[in-house]
Amino acid sequence: MSRAQSIMGMATLALRGMKRRPTRSALVLAGVAVAVFLFCTVDAMRSGVERATQKSAGETALIVYRQNRFCPFTSQLPQSYESAIAKIPGVASVTPVKIVVSNCRASLDVVTFRGVPPQEFAVTHSGSASAQDMQSWLSRGDSALIGRELAQRRRLKAGDRFTAAGVDAFVAGIIESDLPQDQSSAFVHLSFLQEQAKRGGTGGVVTQFDVRVSDPAQMDSVAQAIDERFAKDQSPTTTRAETAHVARAATDVIVLVGFAQALGIAALVAVFALVANAIVLSMRSREKEISVLQTLGFRGVHLATLVLLEALLLGGVGGMIGAGASYAAVSLARTAMTMEGVSIAIAPSFAIALIGVAIAIGLSVLAGIVPAIIAARQTIVAGFRS
Amino acid sequence: MQNTNATTPQIHGSSDIIVCDNLEKHYSRGGETVRVLESIDLTLARGAFVALMGPSGSGKTTLLNLFAGIDRPTAGTLMVDGQDLTKLSRAQLAQWRATSVGYVFQLYHLVPVLTAYENVELPLYLHELSRAQRHERVSEALEAVGISDRHAHYPRQLSGGQEQRVAIARAIVTRPALLLADEPTGDLDRVAAASIMQLLSQLHSERGQTIVMVTHDPSTATHAQRLVRLDKGQLVEDVAVLS
Ligand SMILES: Nc1ncnc2c1ncn2[C@@H]1O[C@H](COP(=O)(O)OP(=O)(O)O)[C@@H](O)[C@H]1O
Ligand SMILES: [Mg+2]
Repeated sequence: MSRAQSIMGMATLALRGMKRRPTRSALVLAGVAVAVFLFCTVDAMRSGVERATQKSAGETALIVYRQNRFCPFTSQLPQSYESAIAKIPGVASVTPVKIVVSNCRASLDVVTFRGVPPQEFAVTHSGSASAQDMQSWLSRGDSALIGRELAQRRRLKAGDRFTAAGVDAFVAGIIESDLPQDQSSAFVHLSFLQEQAKRGGTGGVVTQFDVRVSDPAQMDSVAQAIDERFAKDQSPTTTRAETAHVARAATDVIVLVGFAQALGIAALVAVFALVANAIVLSMRSREKEISVLQTLGFRGVHLATLVLLEALLLGGVGGMIGAGASYAAVSLARTAMTMEGVSIAIAPSFAIALIGVAIAIGLSVLAGIVPAIIAARQTIVAGFRS
Repeated sequence: MQNTNATTPQIHGSSDIIVCDNLEKHYSRGGETVRVLESIDLTLARGAFVALMGPSGSGKTTLLNLFAGIDRPTAGTLMVDGQDLTKLSRAQLAQWRATSVGYVFQLYHLVPVLTAYENVELPLYLHELSRAQRHERVSEALEAVGISDRHAHYPRQLSGGQEQRVAIARAIVTRPALLLADEPTGDLDRVAAASIMQLLSQLHSERGQTIVMVTHDPSTATHAQRLVRLDKGQLVEDVAVLS
C-alpha cells in the first residue's frame, strides 16, 4: 500500500478526532493560541527595540545632545551651534530640533513635538507628505505634520486641532515615514515651538541637532569633532549615532522587554506541557481504541503518525490563531514605546507570526513523540485488558 | 502488499484454514507461570463454521487471539490461511491481519468519533484502494449486514445490535479468509442476539465465510457445524453439530 495513501488516511483520522472532540480541542487550541499570542506580541516589541537600537552599516544619522542630560526638557543647546556644526568636515546636513514631549518617562502614549526649520524640512521631507499638505504646513505658523501612528492613536486628520504638552497645534497633514522616530512625532515650525516653550527667554534654544554625515565610515570621527568643538563652550554636547542615542534612552525598556521575552518563552513551554498533557490524556483513554486499530492491521508507524499528526494539528491550528491574533492586535494598536523623547515602534511582522507558528508546531510535535512511541509499542492484548 | 510471501510457502487454497500443533500459551503472573493453553492440536477446514465453548477462564479468548495473530504462542506451530504465524515479525503480522482476518469483539469496540460508515472504512486505509473503490466496498459491507440506512450514525446513536452489525461489516469489508468472533452476542438481549446469529449464519451459508466463534451459550452454538470445547486450557471435546 502506498505510504502517501496511508498518511492521508491517518491525517483524515486525526482531523476527524480533533473536530469531533470539540470541547477538548477548543481548550487545547485556546491554550496554545494564548501562549503563541504572548510570544509573538512580546517578540514584536523585542524586534522593534532591535530595529531602533541596533547599529547598521549604512547609518549616517547622528544626534547632538546636551552632555549629561537625558530628557528633552533639560537638554538645551543654542540654535547658533547650527552654523558651527555645518562647517565641520564630513557633515552633510544639520537640522536644529526642539522636542517637547507630553511625558518624559517610558509610556505608550507620548506626543513628541519636533520643531524644525520649515524650509529645510520641506526640502528634506518633500516625498513624505503630499504637496498640498506640505504647502498648507509651510503657510501656517501653528501647523503640524504628524506621523501616521500618532494620527491613528489620537484619531487625527488634516484640519483638526490638538493639544499635548501644553502646545496647541493645527494638523496640516499626515507624514509617511518608516523611521520609528517620525511615527509618533508632530513636526512643527521651530520658531513656533520655541515660542510656545519660552518661559522667560529661552528663544533660540533647541533640544538637539539631527546631523547627517556624508560617509557612514566617518560617523565616529564626525561625532568626536562636534563634541570637541563645544567641549569648552557653555553648553557642551554629546554626539551619538541615532541608534545608540535610542538605545541609551531605552535602557530600562530593553531590560523590561528582555524580561517579557522570558515570559514569552515560558508561555511556549506551557504550549509544550499543554499539548503533551492533552495527548497523554487522550492516549490513556484510547488504549482500547489503539488495540482495535492494531487488530485491524494498523502498524506502529501508523499509530505513531496518527499521534504526531494530532499534535501537529493542535500546535499548528492553535499557533495560527495566536499568531494571527497577535498580528492583528499589533497592527490595530499601532503603539510605540516612548521614553525620554525617543520612540520605539511596535510593528506587526509576518516573519514573527511564522516563527510563532513554527515554534508551536515544533514544540507540539516534540510533545507528541513520547506518546507516539508508547502508542506504537503498545501490545494489543495489554490494551484490551486495560 | 504481503512481502511475507517470500519467506514462507503459501498454501492458499489448501482445504485447511487453521492448523495448530502442540500449541501452548503461558503467561507469567507474579513470577508464577500460568499455562493458559496446553498442547492444543486442531485442524479447521476452510469454509467451516466452528463454535468454541468452555467455561469462563478456560482460554477461549486466548486461543482466538492466537488465531487472529494479535497474540503469540509460547510454543507449538500455528498455520493460519497458509501462513506460519510464529515466523512473522510484528509488522509482518500486522500486515497479515490487515488482509487475512476479521475480528468481532463482544463489546463491538467501534471508534466513538467515527460514523458507522467511517468505522467500516477504517481497515480499508491499509489497502491500495481509491476513494471510489472504498466507497463501493463499505456500501457493500453495510448492505450485507443490513444497516445501510444508519451509515451516518455515530456508535452512541446505535443500539447494541446495530453496533455489532457495524462491527461485523468492519470485519468483513476487507474480505478476509477468516472471520473470528469473541462472544459476539454476549452483550445483547435475546432478540438482538438471535438476529446477529442469523447474520453470521447467512454470511457462512451465502458467502462461504469461514467463521470461528467463541460462545458460552449452547443455543448459539447450534448455528455452527462443529463444536470445540476447552476446559482449563485443554481441548476436551470436538464434535460435529447436528442441525
Ligand atoms: N495477558 C494475560 N496475562 C495474564 N493472564 C492472562 C492474560 N490473558 C489471559 N490470561 C489468563 O488466561 C486465562 C484464560 O483467559 P481467557 O482466554 O480470556 O479465557 P476465556 O475467554 O475462556 O474466558 C485466564 O485465567 C486469564 O486471567
Ligand atoms: Mg473470553
